[in-house]
Amino acid sequence: MRAVIGDYTIRVERRADLRWWHTTLASVLAIVVSLFLVGFAFLRVGADPLEVYSEIVKYAFLSEFGLPQTINRATFVLLAAFALIVPLRAGLWNIGMPGQIYAATLAAFGVAYAFGAKRSVNVQLPGELIIPLMFLAALAAGAVYGAIAGFLRGRFQVNEIVTTMMLNWAMLWIVAHMIREGGPFMGRTAEGEGFTLPTSLRLPQILGVPLTVYIALALAVLLTWFLAKTTLGYRIRTYGESPRAAEYAGIDATRISTLVFALGGLLAGLAGYHYFAAVPGVFKIPKNYADFGDFSFYGLITGLIARNNPIAAIPVAVLFGGVSGGARFMQGKLRLAFGIDYALLGVLMIMMVAFQALAHYSVRVERQAAVPRPQLELERGESRVESPRH
Amino acid sequence: MSSLLVISLAAAAVFAIAALGELLEQRAGILNVGLEGVMLLSGTFGFIAAKTSGSYLQGFTVALLTGALVGLLHGFFSITLGSNQVVNGMAIWILGFGLTTYIGYPYTGPLGLKPFPTVAGLPMFFLVALALAIAIWFLLFKTHLGLKLRSVGENPSVAEASGISVTGLRYLAAILAGMLVGLGGAVYSLVYNPVWNYNYLQGWGFIALALVFFSLWNPFLVVAGAVFFGILWQLSLYPELLFPNVFSRYIWRAMPFVITIVVFIVLSTRWFRLRWGATKPEALGLAYQREN
Amino acid sequence: MPLSAQGESDERSVGAARERSAGRVVLEARGITKRFGTVVANDHIDLTVRAGELHAVLGENGAGKTTLMRILFGELQPDEGEIYLDGQRVRFRSPRDALRHGIGMVHQERKLIPAHTALENIILGHPKTGAILNLREAEREVSALCERYGFRVPLHAKVWQLSEGEKQIVEILKELYHGARILILDEPTSVLSPPEIVKLLESLTRMAKEDLAVIPFITHKLPVVLEHCDRVTILRRGRVVAEMETRHATEQTLAAAMVGREVVLQLERVEVPLGDPIVRVQDLWVRDDRGLFAVQGLSFEIRAGEILGIAGVAGNGQEPLAEALAGLRPVERGTITLDSIDITHAPVLERWRRGLGYIPTERREVGSIPTFSLVDNVLLNYHFEREFSRWGILASGQARELTERILREYSVVAAGPNAPARSLSGGNLQKVILGRVLSRKPRFLIACLPTHGLDVGAAEFVQRKILEAKQSGTAVLLISEDLDEILALSDRIAAIYEGQFTGIVPASEASKELVGELMAGLRRERV
Repeated sequence: MRAVIGDYTIRVERRADLRWWHTTLASVLAIVVSLFLVGFAFLRVGADPLEVYSEIVKYAFLSEFGLPQTINRATFVLLAAFALIVPLRAGLWNIGMPGQIYAATLAAFGVAYAFGAKRSVNVQLPGELIIPLMFLAALAAGAVYGAIAGFLRGRFQVNEIVTTMMLNWAMLWIVAHMIREGGPFMGRTAEGEGFTLPTSLRLPQILGVPLTVYIALALAVLLTWFLAKTTLGYRIRTYGESPRAAEYAGIDATRISTLVFALGGLLAGLAGYHYFAAVPGVFKIPKNYADFGDFSFYGLITGLIARNNPIAAIPVAVLFGGVSGGARFMQGKLRLAFGIDYALLGVLMIMMVAFQALAHYSVRVERQAAVPRPQLELERGESRVESPRH
Repeated sequence: MSSLLVISLAAAAVFAIAALGELLEQRAGILNVGLEGVMLLSGTFGFIAAKTSGSYLQGFTVALLTGALVGLLHGFFSITLGSNQVVNGMAIWILGFGLTTYIGYPYTGPLGLKPFPTVAGLPMFFLVALALAIAIWFLLFKTHLGLKLRSVGENPSVAEASGISVTGLRYLAAILAGMLVGLGGAVYSLVYNPVWNYNYLQGWGFIALALVFFSLWNPFLVVAGAVFFGILWQLSLYPELLFPNVFSRYIWRAMPFVITIVVFIVLSTRWFRLRWGATKPEALGLAYQREN
Repeated sequence: MPLSAQGESDERSVGAARERSAGRVVLEARGITKRFGTVVANDHIDLTVRAGELHAVLGENGAGKTTLMRILFGELQPDEGEIYLDGQRVRFRSPRDALRHGIGMVHQERKLIPAHTALENIILGHPKTGAILNLREAEREVSALCERYGFRVPLHAKVWQLSEGEKQIVEILKELYHGARILILDEPTSVLSPPEIVKLLESLTRMAKEDLAVIPFITHKLPVVLEHCDRVTILRRGRVVAEMETRHATEQTLAAAMVGREVVLQLERVEVPLGDPIVRVQDLWVRDDRGLFAVQGLSFEIRAGEILGIAGVAGNGQEPLAEALAGLRPVERGTITLDSIDITHAPVLERWRRGLGYIPTERREVGSIPTFSLVDNVLLNYHFEREFSRWGILASGQARELTERILREYSVVAAGPNAPARSLSGGNLQKVILGRVLSRKPRFLIACLPTHGLDVGAAEFVQRKILEAKQSGTAVLLISEDLDEILALSDRIAAIYEGQFTGIVPASEASKELVGELMAGLRRERV
């Protein structure tokens, strides 16, 4: 595209190759512009957005109460992002984090329930035995629930986006069944809430944060290594780049898609275990459990902004964990309507797509030369080959 | 029993109208997996407009306009910027989900208008869906514009070489589709179940999306599938009344989602997949860049 | 001139037109020059096409034919030179522009929509096509065109159901229907069996006699050119080296002019004593993507050190056959054995472990991954081997070494083992794929169109390597659409037509004519 204004020519061209700073800049801009746009919501109720944001930062990253909350929320988001990233490396979309998270959470609480944890918060149970069992049950349940979508995709080519969405809704109602109206996991005190995990079954903490935080950070490194260096990682990437080449190379489509969804479900399951069985102050399935399902979609956008890179996802998750929590805090303080963090989620997502697309274009302003330069024609064979996925 | 059928057809209208819109744009090669988002946006804004003005007409007008705008937005990303259409669709869905949750929250509750009129006992929008199916079929297969639209969806570079504006037609399809999908969303929030609640659509947009895939891009099969799903959803809610003590009502709520997945599995026979591959628009979901 | 057929089938008016235009210059290109960077693709090319004669442009790959064609139909603008139509200077800014001036182009790769019918493809985008489709009217006009030039094609069949030859005719009809009176054809003979070539050239001659200028651009098939074309212009390295009437030319003079030296490109046939049968295929039935039987009861065996060439026009079941042998497509009926072990339903990897090697047709879609490094591409055939995957971790040093060895031994031009595959030319990429597959020392090699689209040097290299594999005792199944290649390399030649063998003949008894007739389905040998 070219536009001529007076002596100047503005050229908009598609870049052949994206450098890392293009994508990084695009991500940063997307975040900044989204925060700017959501600022109007604060403006509407007469608050100064800049002040609001500085309060959010103060609350989320500098306050004694907010910081641990940020870390815990960020870990949840990070694990949900991993749950997106692994299948997406194979070209498949996992938007079933809410379902997988609650499959895992129910399994973890199921183990506790089986050992009689519902009796009382103070019941003394052998945690060194039951905690690992709960942990493993959570991972297994997440993996199995995730694997359903992967298997159906691989074996029957049922669209995984639709399946994972259906599985989310099914699981949300199953949770309702478990914790409401006399459901087996219903707490003794409050209606519509799960029972509280006895103190003896809570995951130990190190330096004031639950063990799962460290596990998540280690997983970022482990997943990066797994995808880059292992044979299985290679097969996943191969399938993601070209299912036909993968088939040629003897890589079984059903196995790969089941595997990546099992892994994704496992990681989402870990997020569920983390938030409901390890984060201090929670230790139960709360009344507004559906909110946390929605919150896991921050993982989706984190994975996309980090461009499928587990390590790059860490800072993004920390930012979103903090800002979303801080926004909720300010929402209460300013008496805003519910859902300011949802609005941010939506705006972020669309801005991220816009800026990542725009990163492909370069804009140059040139002063028109007196003599038109001959245009260099490319041979057809050299023209840009783009292979959009799907 | 007949009231069950009526409510089923009302549900079918939601599926059918949204899916017909998506079918139209998929035939032109554009994939929008974010139907849910378009429907939420249109449905919510339509709901707010109708509730504040007390007029269905205003509600539907706002819904159609919203749909057109969102279609345009998705078109801009997918056609002009040429970015990955699945990601774009996801963005539209999350945008719709996030934004409507915040904006619609103060309007939580029933619409408060008198129920939308029916025609001869049938839900009016089901008849609209039928008419739309016929119109879209005629457009696609009996007119030059339809031939061009289908060509753009099959092979845009051949279409371009035949003097067809790929960009123009794709925008047309995206905007029309946005309007229809948006209408589907408004039929849900204004007619089928006129009570606003956050994320009220419960994945119906995704079911409509699946319906397009399973219809083999045939408008009549879309309507047939929509009726099937409409009845299925009502029936799966019905046993709750017949066997109130077998499961809790929450388990019955989960049932339609499970059955939907089962239906997809049953439909995905080898025979079907073969046909599916053969009718799928070749260029579906692929960005097109004109060679200079 | 509008080309609606009404009234023009009248003999007298056609005769009068011929009278009027005999010898008139229809298209003239003067001094066409086009540079790409420092490369001069077209260097002052002159081309004069007269009405009433069939004028072919000959040249090897890289002689500048493609550039000249793209200039003539408006896809490229020349740096120098002029184009005249009926004596009027014209400039084209785009192919649409050229078509408005009556220039139509029939590409080598098909520009049709397979899901539409032939007729829908023909009328697509024509201003005459009304808002509501009137297919009956359109059919009448197109049928008239068919009759006039002797084309036979089912207009209401979907294009995917048509043979390659029929598809080409549909494209010609489309250009004519859209008002082309100068028709440029890129390698129109390449997808046809010899008898089909003759039929096409007869139709083209008829068109040329009726005031249409028809310019086929041709690389191979010199004898047919001599027989059917009136005049040829020969390009070499971007220049016109000769323009002559075919009655003054022989096949040798044409070939010499094209290549620039007297050449007899003959690979030396390598005779090796045949060993035991390695592959045995019995009564094989395979379906294509549409569910139709594309392979219908094929049986053959290949022995160690033998090359079985499958000769056939594209789309007669070669692809599904290769895919079924490689395990990428289910077998409906019949058996495949490799070293006497039944692998009919074996998974892909088991076949590779037992000694299969497969070079697929689509190098960039199936045979490689463009965004992956060459090392990762080599791993496509090695990731399942113990030496390359220890405890589930890729042995990257090993893979790198192997890649470097392939790059060296196959003299691949690449930035290094970590260069992405998309940075390689087609020839170099094919060398990497070939090297990767042959480094496994396969017992049974399937090579699909191994030299398709490669320049002469790379093609010869690939062919030599296939012969080396044969010498070392590999059983080779060679699938190619280039009959010369099949004849030069194979020990036995199987002609395939509509999924069946019409004959399997030893190379010593195979002539071009015989195999040509077999692959056109005009003749059947006992198989």
